[in-house]
Amino acid sequence: MGNELVKLIDTTLCTACRGCQVACKQWNEMPGLRTKQTGTYQNPPDLQWNTWTLIRFQEYEDKDKNFTWIFRKDGCMHCTEASCVKVCPSGSLYYTDIKTVGVHHEKCIGCKECISACPFDIPRYNKETEKVTKCDLCYSRIKENLPPACVKSCPTGALTIGPKDEMIKKAYARVEKLGGDANVYGDKFVGGTHVIYVLQFKPEVYDELAKDPKVPQTIALWKSILKPLSLLGAGGVIGGSILHYFIHGPHKPHPEHYDEPKKQGGA
Amino acid sequence: MKNKMVVVTSGYERFVHWALAISCLTLCYTGLGILFKELNFLGVIFGGLKGLVTVHDFMAVIFAISLVLAIAMWWKEAGIFVFPEDWEWIKAAGGYLWHLDHVPETGKYNPGQKAFFLTVALCGLLMVVTGFFMWYPEKLGGDLMDWVYVLHVLGFVVIFAFFFVHLYLGTIGNPGSVSAMISGKMELPVLRMLHPKWVKEMEHEGKLMIANDKK
Ligand code: HEM
Ligand code: SF4
Ligand code: SF4
Ligand code: SF4
Repeated sequence: MGNELVKLIDTTLCTACRGCQVACKQWNEMPGLRTKQTGTYQNPPDLQWNTWTLIRFQEYEDKDKNFTWIFRKDGCMHCTEASCVKVCPSGSLYYTDIKTVGVHHEKCIGCKECISACPFDIPRYNKETEKVTKCDLCYSRIKENLPPACVKSCPTGALTIGPKDEMIKKAYARVEKLGGDANVYGDKFVGGTHVIYVLQFKPEVYDELAKDPKVPQTIALWKSILKPLSLLGAGGVIGGSILHYFIHGPHKPHPEHYDEPKKQGGA
Repeated sequence: MKNKMVVVTSGYERFVHWALAISCLTLCYTGLGILFKELNFLGVIFGGLKGLVTVHDFMAVIFAISLVLAIAMWWKEAGIFVFPEDWEWIKAAGGYLWHLDHVPETGKYNPGQKAFFLTVALCGLLMVVTGFFMWYPEKLGGDLMDWVYVLHVLGFVVIFAFFFVHLYLGTIGNPGSVSAMISGKMELPVLRMLHPKWVKEMEHEGKLMIANDKK
């Protein structure tokens, strides 16, 4: 392996059967937890440490009061410029050879820095293990030339995976065919994501979908400026102190500071 | 002849000061190991990176407590600038940059020490507040948290650099001052040089405590 893969989520083909949600749990051996009925079919209510992908259910009415369901499979977008990898201090989050974002679970120190950084609000913290989890695009399966569990389970063809260029081409062809507001979401920001959507409506219509996802600019300030500055600053001070000691010399009492005249100053 | 030793700090003062110094230094050490992947190995003595985090979390509590005690104890003497005398000292750079026969006299703490105290107090509080939210990032949400991480490292940049300034000036830069942190006593001539006005005031009020020399 080693070639760049992209998973395409065609939301217009999704029937919300949630086969992917179940397959993901099964493959990754994530337990089911007690859930809450919140007045929607969406279940569980949000991504959780044990739920790495979730079908979001949304009731939508267009300007002519036509009702439709919107189903969107939420989960890690596998950014090329991944904020989570940039901030992760432990190397738990890393770029794989196929340019997706993998997780070395054993390295995670549970600092939660990735949670704040991710523009798509993906990583979730597990209190018990004190570690963070997220989709790894089934790296272990891809390495064995198998499609991710979610893709394998999808009965409608809403989920497909393949070489990057082919999938992007396929997405644009589909959007062309759909017409209207249909658009491709993912290839244009954060260096291009390795999970892209075909959306029927403009991105702002969708619940919990970032309108303008960006790597937070504060990360550059933090990691590229302040981080080296901490060593430079301390180094400068140590160097300055040594220079001061030898050029100016330490502060020593003058003769008049002593009760009796003394031959030499100093302690 | 031995110089007279003056009692300058109480046991309580030294205890708080050491607690602050040790926790601050440990936080710098562990923070450094978390901040730089190349320095992750600093965690080996605590059983790995997760160990650094555990020690950082524990020392954070000691630091927060000793910081509050230190501020309560010192802010009257070291937290307020007194003009014009402090201004004179600042104009002379305290005699640290060029040689002066007479450094302008100030109270118990000179403006350099006051500036240092205020920086530590403010940056320390910044570290406690930002650190607290780093424990519970969900309280603030991603956009504000982005800045919290920046501020925690900014505070680190200042504290880490200032630590060495403080270490230098408190030891070899001003010979004779480190004893204030160990025995709590300082030699009278050194005191007359560093805190002339304070010595005069104390002598005037008859409060200068000369330690019983064991001769
Ligand atoms: C002298 C005071 C302190 C210094 C110099 C210091 C320094 C640092 C540094 C350099 C980092 C690494 C930041 C990064 O990876 O970008 C860090 C992380 C962290 N600090 Fe501090 N810190 C101090 C006080 C505190 C306090 C008082 C708290 C809590 C109340 C705290 C909580 C944290 C947390 C939660 C982290 C994230 C890593 C982890 O999970 O431990 N820090 N600190
Ligand atoms: S979507 Fe979030 S968690 Fe996934 S790679 Fe991008 S930044 Fe990381
Ligand atoms: S919580 Fe874990 S995965 Fe997330 S940034 Fe911290 S160490 Fe990395
Ligand atoms: S790629 Fe694998 S881990 Fe990611 S959502 Fe699909 S099944 Fe879950």
